[in-house]
This record gives sequence, structure tokens and C-alpha cells, in this order.
Amino acid sequence: MSAPAHAPRSVVLCFMLSALGAAGFAASYVIGLGNEALGVSIGAAFAFLALGLARWSSLISAAEPEYVEERSIGPTPQHEYDAFKQALIEQPVPRSWVLWGSLGTAVAAIGGAALFPLRSLLPAMGTDPDAVLSRTPWKAGLRLVNEEGLPIRPADLALGGVVTAFPEGLDPREHVDTTTLLIRVDPSILQLPAGRASWVVDGVVAYSKLCTHAGCPVGLYVDTADQLLCPCHHSVFDVATGANPIEGPAPHPLPQLPLGTDGDGYLVAEGDFSAPVGPSWGNH
Amino acid sequence: MPSLLPSLLSRVLPHPRPMRKLDERLGFASAGRAALAKVFPDHWSFMLGEIALYSFVFLVLSGIYLALFFEPSTAMVVYHGRYAPMRGEEVSAAYASAVRLSWDVRGGLLVRQAHHWAAHLFIASIVLHLCRIYLTGAFRRPRELNWTIGLTMLVLAIFNAFAGYSLPDDLLSGTGLRIFNAIALSIPIVGSWLAFLAFDGEFPGQEIIQRLYIAHVLLVPALLAVLISVHLAILIRQKHTHFPGPGRRDANVVGSRAWPAYGLRSLSLLAAVFAALLLAGGLLQINPVWAWGDFDPATVTAPSVADWYILWIEGALRLFPPVEFQVFGFEIPNQFWCGVVLPGLIFGALYLWPWLDRRWNDDREPHHLTGRPRESPLRVGLASAMLAFMAVLLVAGSQELIVQWTGWTVGSVRDVLRVLVFVLPLIAGFAGRWVAESLRRSDLDHAVELGHREMVAGLRRRNRPQAQ
Amino acid sequence: MSTPRPLGQRFAVLLAAAAVVGLAGVLTLTAGSGRATPGAVPAEPTPSVTAESTPAPGGSGNTGRQVFLRDCAWCHGSDGSGTHNGPSLVGVGEAAADFYLRTGRMPLASPEADVKGGKPAYSSSTINALVKYVGSLGAGPAVPALTRGDPAAGRTLFLENCAACHSASGTGTIVTGGQQAPDLWATADQQVAEAIRLGPGPMPPFGSGQLSDEDVSNIVSYVHQLGSPQRIGGAGLDQYGPIIEGAAALFLLLPLVVLISRALGKRAPSRKEKE
Repeated sequence: MSAPAHAPRSVVLCFMLSALGAAGFAASYVIGLGNEALGVSIGAAFAFLALGLARWSSLISAAEPEYVEERSIGPTPQHEYDAFKQALIEQPVPRSWVLWGSLGTAVAAIGGAALFPLRSLLPAMGTDPDAVLSRTPWKAGLRLVNEEGLPIRPADLALGGVVTAFPEGLDPREHVDTTTLLIRVDPSILQLPAGRASWVVDGVVAYSKLCTHAGCPVGLYVDTADQLLCPCHHSVFDVATGANPIEGPAPHPLPQLPLGTDGDGYLVAEGDFSAPVGPSWGNH
Repeated sequence: MPSLLPSLLSRVLPHPRPMRKLDERLGFASAGRAALAKVFPDHWSFMLGEIALYSFVFLVLSGIYLALFFEPSTAMVVYHGRYAPMRGEEVSAAYASAVRLSWDVRGGLLVRQAHHWAAHLFIASIVLHLCRIYLTGAFRRPRELNWTIGLTMLVLAIFNAFAGYSLPDDLLSGTGLRIFNAIALSIPIVGSWLAFLAFDGEFPGQEIIQRLYIAHVLLVPALLAVLISVHLAILIRQKHTHFPGPGRRDANVVGSRAWPAYGLRSLSLLAAVFAALLLAGGLLQINPVWAWGDFDPATVTAPSVADWYILWIEGALRLFPPVEFQVFGFEIPNQFWCGVVLPGLIFGALYLWPWLDRRWNDDREPHHLTGRPRESPLRVGLASAMLAFMAVLLVAGSQELIVQWTGWTVGSVRDVLRVLVFVLPLIAGFAGRWVAESLRRSDLDHAVELGHREMVAGLRRRNRPQAQ
Repeated sequence: MSTPRPLGQRFAVLLAAAAVVGLAGVLTLTAGSGRATPGAVPAEPTPSVTAESTPAPGGSGNTGRQVFLRDCAWCHGSDGSGTHNGPSLVGVGEAAADFYLRTGRMPLASPEADVKGGKPAYSSSTINALVKYVGSLGAGPAVPALTRGDPAAGRTLFLENCAACHSASGTGTIVTGGQQAPDLWATADQQVAEAIRLGPGPMPPFGSGQLSDEDVSNIVSYVHQLGSPQRIGGAGLDQYGPIIEGAAALFLLLPLVVLISRALGKRAPSRKEKE
């Protein structure tokens, strides 16, 4: 049996259209027609290539019977397998586990020793991760600056306003744990934990911006509800009660930074945060 | 055989003389003839693995092009390119090169976007392929090794995709790295050390982009290439499985020959995958890093979510209650359960599945004839339950969209999902098993044809599903 | 025996199906996700906008007062000093009135209704008159004077201060309590500047101690080019991020390629076809 004469013409047509699409891609590139034109032209080129190949394949399949092949997979006969095992293990030295054992010890020792340079991936010797994570560089007297590096007065913030602050003189990218949120609220709504009344200046409170769940910056401040929302997993913190988590998976409140003012009226820290910042970790 | 085709083929295939010269040196013709005659069974579902394979090929080719322009460095540079809002701004070199690829390199945006779509297709097709293997019992002896290799490739693919979209050092992916860091930190005892090892100190450090780059372009692709080769070699040695039918037995394989029928079909799929990816890359914008902004650890955008193959972990993180359990004096942060234990349990169960299935069915025989999914209602039920579970977690990761569509509060959506994540898999599992059982007892081809009688018959319980 | 015609038909069907699926998908995704976005007035063509609203023709003060007494007084009081239904407008200034009226947030249908954007309830001249009237109730912020801003500087400020609620691409997202930060693609420059200073609703205000007038102009010029100027790679998918992109991958790209596989692979004969 033979396929009718017109059938392969469709295959040839598809391949010609594919070539046309490729030419269109080249033209789009040279003229600079933009992403859509580039994608559609080369995509169409491949699409017509696929169509032509598919048509060709189905023509062949339609004319061919199904083929049958025997599977010969199965376990090797036992005597041949024994011969293999003997050739692999026993020929070099028959039945000497001392020799094989000592070879294994040497290989294992080299493998173990090779792991030691991986220690260099860690920071310099003497760094204790738990100690580093427990503290931030904030200390008493350090001025707060905004993202442009300018110091902040309480009056700079409108009532209900929020700004992100860092310690003066430190590179924020190298000390992410110092990221602080300053929020100006009506002082009468504040119900902070005991002993923190002096941590507020003119209604300005300072909390760590790093969520205690997985460390995302808690960037959303809802003015009318005095709530902070973390966009990653939707933990909600209540600003008035010390950034207590009221919804979502965060288990701990945002640590608070004690605030004061210096001689020029700019905001300064009065110490480090009330608790380690960011997500809890295994040894904490 | 149509007389037309040999003449067409001889016009297309290489001229015999150079190939004869090659054969004089290598002597491949006899083995080649046997290889060309190898039989592959015909079923569309057997091609799902090829979609994954061809997506990988596309990823490597497009990735090479991208790697020629991408700079994996966190050193600050000033951008001077066509994207006006960034001109004169100091950003990391990685970010600047990603924006340059998108705005200043002609064709760069197409390759970047097609590359990202290919990652989606790669992982999605692996999951579909896994479902086909699982539901038809093709993981059974002697194919347990290939199942293990395939699962490992899925894990590697997911990790590499995560590494890949974190490379541009943009605001969205950087926040994802922060969560990755927090999950590492949450591991008891060694967590802080592991996190400091990966990031060279505190988050974000200066090293993570370079390390992810080496993993993404060298380590994982090399591993994947080796595993794919072993996976295919095992497949060729053991020959593909096939469905029961006329003339089909365990001891043979029935289908098309590798060349020309099957080979041309497979090449067509290769071209079709490339076509789909390039069309998507041209027509659908994905991951517009210039819009997200460069990564600043003090800044965040919203919605702040990961791609779908990681989003199920994010969904679990969102639904988990704000508790920290005390275990042996250590307070375990709740990211540990969602980020380490949950994926560990799921992948652990998947790895062990061939042996669990063997014990459940008491079936240690080799199988080359696979069954339709209905042959094992248990597997259908478990697959339905798992997919329903993943679907709920993905919805949890898409809460922003749900809230914006329905107007409900985040809290109420969260509460509903917290219930659904337990209830829906149970319902789906039992429903899936019921449908499969009903189909198995009936003579019908499709589930939509099931009537009352078949459904009642399907309720009759059996202790063990029939072995093949 | 099989003839080429059924095969040809199969491919025509495949091609048509792929085209329909693809087109439908692209159109659906580009038409917007049907989220509740406020329809604000179309953006001004240039960012340089001068301050005060132009006086309405003839007796503007009276027209403004008349409309105020008719529509606003029952919540805000006949002298604007507020009632239990609505806050005092004394001292809110022309900026507040201009923002709330032009974005359609005011007037509310009832005191309990949600404050959200929509079509403005009045014509531009009536709004001008109302704005003048409310401004006359007490000294308050005037409508901001915008100058030509620097989008690069504005981008940095936008990402630092605005992206967390309005999304880096300006597509808007949820905040607490069922509220949303709206998308900024169709918001007029004037209203962006007013909102920054006022902090309407759940939005925090940014006073001049925090953002100078130059900063505000810069932010406005960056916001002006959000939306379609950022969309160079095809359909924007609302510039929403991985949620919609993942949906496109799983419900558009994957089914398309699976459909192609189905058309390519010959079916194994089912049990019914046994001879």
C-alpha cells in the first residue's frame, strides 16, 4: 500500500512555514520589534516543525503494524553470577577481609579528611552563630537615622506615620538585624509591658522590623487599626500592646527598642532590643 | 510500507558515504540497526517523562545563553541602561545584569522568560509523570531503582528552580531567601551553624548569590544530567512497561519501532515543547525583576510568595498555629515543622512507596504489564488525598488573591483552610477510592459514565486490592 | 484502512484547540483578575501640575456650600465640625477634600459603608467648588504643588515606603481587616501626592518632616510610569507575581503541552477493542 500523493505536501508545507517563522524571528531581531514578535515568530517556527514531524510520524504509524520485541531481562543464572562475584572480589586476594577492610578504612579516612575544607564556607574561626544571633549592634546613645542616613526627630513623623530606621554609622546591608520601625501613635492608646513607659518619646515607639516568624520585614502598617502586618505569612502585630502577635503564625512579639533623645532633640537608642530579633532558631 | 517514504528518508538522512566512513572506524551499523528497531509502546501518558526531558534540554540551552550575560556578584554597580527609573542607581551586579538582560540585551528577555516558564513546565511535567508511574504501578519490581532516581531528580529540580529565581537578587526572591534562612535556623542544635554555613554568616551576607550560582549552573545540572542518563539507560535495559491488550504479555513489549515512527513522534514533541515555551516567553510576562526592585533586606513587597513548587511550603507556614513545641528542652520554631518535617515526611513516604506497596499487596513479582489506575483503588485514593492536600496548601499560599476576590478577611480564609487541610484530603481520598472501585467492577471506560448501580457496587469493601 | 483525511482533521482540530486555549488564556489573564480595584480618574498626561483648583464659573462659593449642605452636612455637620456619623472637616484643608472627592471615596451612601474608590460623584467644576468651600472651613493643607520629578529617586522612595502595601509593581494587595491597598496604575498624579500627605484610611500619612515636597514629586513621577510602561514581556498577568504566574503555568502551559502529547501518542487499544 502507498500513501496518497498529496499527503506529504502538508508535511512539506509545515516545514516551509517553520522556515518562514525562523526568518521572521531573524527579521524581528534585526528590526528590533520587541519581545512578543520575537517569541511568536520563533515559537511558530518550532510549532510548525512539530506539526510537520507529527504528521509525518502518523503517516508512518498508520501504515505500519505494531512491532513485538521479547524482553530478555531477568536475573543471571546462579553459576554465572557466582563466577562474576569470584572474578570481582576473590581474584585479587582470596577471602582476605583484612586487606579489603584496611583499603576501606583508607578510603573512608580520605573521604572524611576531604570534608574539612568545607569548614571554610563558614565565617572565620571563633564566630559563634548563637552569640551573633542573640545581639544586635544597638547600644545606648546610638542615634537613629533613616534610609537616607539623616537623623530623626519625633516631630518629623506625622501622627500615624511610620519610618524605617538604622543606627548611625553602620552599613544597613551588613547589619540587617538592626532594622527598626518607628511608629508615631497617640500615647494614650499605649499599653506596653511593665517598665517600658520610658521607651516611648512623644508617642514614637520603636520595634524590630524583622518578623519573629521567618524574618521578613514587617512592612505593612495599618494606621486606623495600629497593626503591623507581615506580608509573608500574614502575622499581625498590635502596636499598642508591644507588638504582640494577635493573628497568624508568629509566636513572639516584635522586640522593642528603648528610645530617648539626645541634646539636639534627635532620637537615640537607650540600649539593645528587648529580645533577640528575627526568627527563633534551634539553639535559642 | 509506502514507497514514498524511503525516498523521502533517503533525501533527508545523511548521505551514505560520510556515514560509511564513520562506520569503518567505529563499526556501529549492526548495533545501530538493533537500536533503531527497539520497540516502544504507544500511549500518550508514556510521553510525559519526555516533556520533562525536553524541558531540561531547553533549560540547559537557554541557561547557557543567560549565563553569558549574568553576573553572579553582590558587588554594587551603577546601572546605565534603557530602563529609565534605574539609571544612575547603585544596585548589585547580579540585579543589574538581570535588568540588563531584560531591557538592554535584544532577545534577552525572551530567553529569560522562556527559561523561567521552562522551569515551571519541567517540575509540573515531572509531577504528572510521577502520578502516571504511581497510578499505573510502574514503580513496582524491577523499576524501584528508577523510581528512586526519578524522585531524586524531582527534589533536585525544585531546589534548582528555587536557586535560579533567587539569582537575580531582586526584592521578591530575596525575601524568599530570608525564609529559607529561617527554616535552616529552625533545625534543632545545628540550625544556626547550617544557616551560617550556607550564607557565610548572618543573613544576607555577600556569598549566597555566588554559591547558589555554582549550584544552579554546575552542580545540580551535572547531577541531573548523570541521573537522567542512568534513568534512561535503565529504561532501555528493562524496556518500557505497557498496558494489557491484544498480544501483550509480561515477557514482551508491543508498540512502534524507535525509528522512524517513535523517533519522529518524539522529535515532534521536542519541537512542540520548545514552541510552547518560546510562545509563553514571548506572550506572557513572568518575574519582572525590574518592577520588584533590587533586594534590600529592610524592605519588602507584597504579595510576598514563592513559585508554586515552593508555595505549598509557604501555605503550610501560613496555616500553622503560633505555637512552639518544647522537645527535650529545646523550643522548636514552627518553621521546622512546615519547612523540614512536612517535606521530609512527604518525600520520605514517596521514596519508601515501592516497598510499602509491595508489603501491602504482598506482591514481590516483577511486573512489565502495568494496570489502569482503577486496578488499585487504594493508590487512586492516596493520590487523590495527596493532591487535595497540596491543593489546599497552594490555596493557602494564594490567600491574597482569595481575599481580594471574595472580600473576606485573611483570618476567616485562614480558619477555613485550617479545617480544609485536614478534611478535604480525607474526602478526596475516600471519593477517589470509591470511584476507582466502581470503575474496576464495571466495564466502563470513563468515570463520567458511572451510574448508580456501579457506584453502589463500588461501596462494597475489599481488604486488599487485586494484585496484577 | 486509515486514510490521511482523519489524520489531517486531527491536526486541524489540535491546532484549533491549541489556538483557542492559548488565546482564551491570554485574554483572561490580561483582562484582569476581577479583583475589586478602585476605578479612579485617568492619569494626567504630564507630571507637572500646578496647585490650586481653578475657580468654578459664577458664584462658586455658593454652589460649593449648597452641595455641601445637601450631601455632606448630615454626616459632617452643617458647619463641618462633625457629628457622630462623620469626622470634623475643619482644618482638613483643600488637599483632603480634593483627594476624597476626586477618587470617588466621598460621598458615602451611608455612614456604615466602606470607604473605597470609584467613579467621582460630581463633575469637576462641582468638585472644585466643594474643595474651595471645605478649604474655607479652616486653615489646612492646600492641594500639593507638583514639579517634574526624578523617577529614579522616586523609585527608591517608593520601594522603601510604599511597596509593602501597594506592591512593588503597584498592583495593590491586602492589608488587615478585609481592606486593600489599591492599585496605582490609573490614579492621577495629584491624588497620589494628596494620599501620601493625608494617609487616607488604613494608609499612614507621610508628613513634610519625613518626605519633602521634592520627594513627593519624585515618587509621583515614578508611580506615573508604573503599569503598562513596566510591561515589556507580553501580557502582564496583573504584574501580581508568582500566584498568577503559577496559575498560568499549571492551568495554561501544562494542559497545552499535555493535550499535544495526547494528540501525538497513539492510544493503546482498550479491552473493548480486543478481537
